[in-house]
Amino acid sequence: MSAVPASARRGLFAHAKHLILLGGFGGLLFYVTRAVPEMNGGLWTIAAIGFLLLAGTLTSELLAPLGLPHLTGYLLAGIASGPYVLRLVDEHTVKNLSPVNTLALSLIALAGGAELDMAAIRRASRSLAWATLVQCLLVLVLVTAAFFAVRPLIPFARNLPIGPFLGVALLWGALAVTRSPSATLGILSQTRASGPLASFTLAFVMTSDVVVVVLFAAVMACVRPLIDSGASFGLDSFATLAHDLFGSIALGTTLGLVIAAYLRLVNRQMLVVLLALGFGASTILDYLQFDSLLTFMVAGFIVRNLSKQGHKLLSYIERTGTVVYVVFFATAGADLNVPLLRELWPVALVLAGSRAVITYVGARIAGRLAEDPPVLRRWGWSGLVSQAGLSLGLVVIIAREFPGVGTPLRALAIATVAINQMVGPILFKLALDRSGETSRIPAPSFPSIPPPPLPESSVVE
Amino acid sequence: MGLLVLSYLGSFLVGGRTVRGAGLPSGVEFVALGFVLGPQVLDLVGGDMLASFEPVVQVALGWLAFAVGLDFGYSGERRASIASIALASLGVLLTGGAVGGVTWVVVRALHVGATRTEQLLLAGGVAAACSETTRHAVRWVVQRHTARGPLAERLNEIAHADDLLPLLAVSMLFAVVPDTHVPTKIPLIDWPAITIALGLLLGAGAAMLVRSELRLEETWAVLFGVSLIAIGTTARLGLSTLTASFFAGLAVSLLSRHGKELRAMVAPTERPVLLPALLLAGAHLDFRAAPNLPWIAAAAIGARLAAKVVFGWVLAATSPSARKAGSLVGLSLASSGALAMSIGLAFALRFPGTVGDTVLVVAALSATVGEFVGPVRLRNALQRAGEIDLAGPASAGSKARRVEA
Repeated sequence: MSAVPASARRGLFAHAKHLILLGGFGGLLFYVTRAVPEMNGGLWTIAAIGFLLLAGTLTSELLAPLGLPHLTGYLLAGIASGPYVLRLVDEHTVKNLSPVNTLALSLIALAGGAELDMAAIRRASRSLAWATLVQCLLVLVLVTAAFFAVRPLIPFARNLPIGPFLGVALLWGALAVTRSPSATLGILSQTRASGPLASFTLAFVMTSDVVVVVLFAAVMACVRPLIDSGASFGLDSFATLAHDLFGSIALGTTLGLVIAAYLRLVNRQMLVVLLALGFGASTILDYLQFDSLLTFMVAGFIVRNLSKQGHKLLSYIERTGTVVYVVFFATAGADLNVPLLRELWPVALVLAGSRAVITYVGARIAGRLAEDPPVLRRWGWSGLVSQAGLSLGLVVIIAREFPGVGTPLRALAIATVAINQMVGPILFKLALDRSGETSRIPAPSFPSIPPPPLPESSVVE
Repeated sequence: MGLLVLSYLGSFLVGGRTVRGAGLPSGVEFVALGFVLGPQVLDLVGGDMLASFEPVVQVALGWLAFAVGLDFGYSGERRASIASIALASLGVLLTGGAVGGVTWVVVRALHVGATRTEQLLLAGGVAAACSETTRHAVRWVVQRHTARGPLAERLNEIAHADDLLPLLAVSMLFAVVPDTHVPTKIPLIDWPAITIALGLLLGAGAAMLVRSELRLEETWAVLFGVSLIAIGTTARLGLSTLTASFFAGLAVSLLSRHGKELRAMVAPTERPVLLPALLLAGAHLDFRAAPNLPWIAAAAIGARLAAKVVFGWVLAATSPSARKAGSLVGLSLASSGALAMSIGLAFALRFPGTVGDTVLVVAALSATVGEFVGPVRLRNALQRAGEIDLAGPASAGSKARRVEA
């Protein structure tokens, strides 16, 4: 009698098959990229999307028995295929994939908003308020202090005078407050978790997006005179910020009402509608200089809370979004600067570690103050470690505003975010599994789904 | 955005229940719209914009070919009979041979194309584009008139089984002039074999993957992923995207245990992809592509119709129901559409200039003529064969809608 059960053998066989096929597909692309120099720039992007999609899906399946989230699989597949390892996807192709990122971010924000239930937020408002206050202040102050403490390890900071260095440290602290809505939604979509931890983390991460934008603008205004001796403290940026926020909220509300009306009255071709929203509306919002993430989030929130169409919208996004998310996270992996991470990993690890510890401490304090249930006190911090697009977006602004210190700071931020991006999702999934909020019902698998009727059969036969 | 909006409006117009009330089976109205919007008329979609759309076009063509491959040899849920596949292949050989031969003669006589290779490509491309019958046309008439019977079934099966040979021809024609940036020297005859092998290998890989208990979205990821890899690698190697994607779809259909479910999954995606592709094909049309273009088009279309008539006689010889339909039963298969336009567009992208543009224009004109001839003759043939509800189209149409509901 065999010691290995039949189901496990089948699982092993399936994984071996996936690994071999993944190797085969990768080998084909490897050969083609080496054998034929590219002439038609845009066309290889198509193969790159295909491979990232396939490799991300298969790697996530291969890592699933280890308890790792799918998202980690997507990221690892991206890193392996990217410009610094196998070069199946080069820098140029990664750049060409930016429209996919735009689409994914808009879907993520729309889904995030649609997941936020007003009643649930009202119930958790005490927890949310304390968590937001404590996490923002504590992380800002203590991460700034930690940055000060590791100054000798940071190459570009050693020779900076104390004033500018304080400015840079404060910017670093503000960056540390950012979270990753995409990672949170990615994990929740995979685990289909429900419970206090899942709903608190989602509500916190989505609302903190707005808080972070305001906080970042305030920090930028304060540090400007510290870093740039010729500059003075000004409130101009707040006027722009107010325009951004109110405009985004107003547009988001309108968009949400339109989507709700469409879902109620028409409710067809949502795939095309979501694509048009992702590409078209994002472009218009960029042109108007509104925050597209906030706009879509508000739109989703309105659909969920001011109409009965929220579940419909979520179901459509889930169907459309999964494929887009794989490409989005795999592209994020491909975009990860591995040589930079190799160079800066000791200091990045220290900074990422200190942020995680401070986040943990902040969550414990906030949990005690808000009298949270035990599951939140124990695991409430786990979903707040991930960082991704928003952090990198803000660091680009820093690099643009303060070119002298901004560029090396950006490199360090990329390395630190890379670590948080890899570790954060694992922690959050672990917390959801341990707290029993991960859904036990298996996701519908392909062969178990009854086939829809073929278009012709009803008439010809 | 424009493409998305058009895809949205188009899917409303020709999708679902309205398919029997509005829209043409070949979709030539979208080709015409594209032509009007394109650089030759209004110039709203200019040449630069068309060039930037090339990746979109390649994806659309590849996915359509993948869907055609997945559906090849199936009429609805039923597998087409061997006899229908054989007849379909014979029809393609007959039509393609006649069109290719006549086009070659006309092209030589009118001195179109600078070299003999160009003339070969032109004649071959026109033959490949004109030899198929669109699956949608037969379905359109059959559904609209609730046709039932052996002739409707046979014609439907033929329309679903005649895509293989034109796509094989395309891979061979692409091999005649390998892309100059491909450094590997490979004998001419091996290029089509590589194209087919690549498609089959990728499709076999996808079939093996979907055999596992994958989640639904993972199944989509596998199908999209494999299809996009096929499109990207063939484009880089200078091979025929259409052929490789078709064979990938065919391999998935043949090797997967879940072929029926996969066909049902993929079928609804065909229309939203097809409409932008047809629009872009229309925008690429250039009626000044070659001197004497009207003569080439007239000769090719005339040869096509004549070959269809002859094929109808073959059909009548093998099927009693076809005999009842009259001597022009072959013209029932005169409609061409999606695949013909795809082949034309693929030629226009691969061989820009006289060859590609001429093939595309002839494919568009052939689809337009087919639109006037095919559905009318098909309805007539089915009526004669007694397979159309005698209560009339209106009542039959409402019956069809009831069946669908």
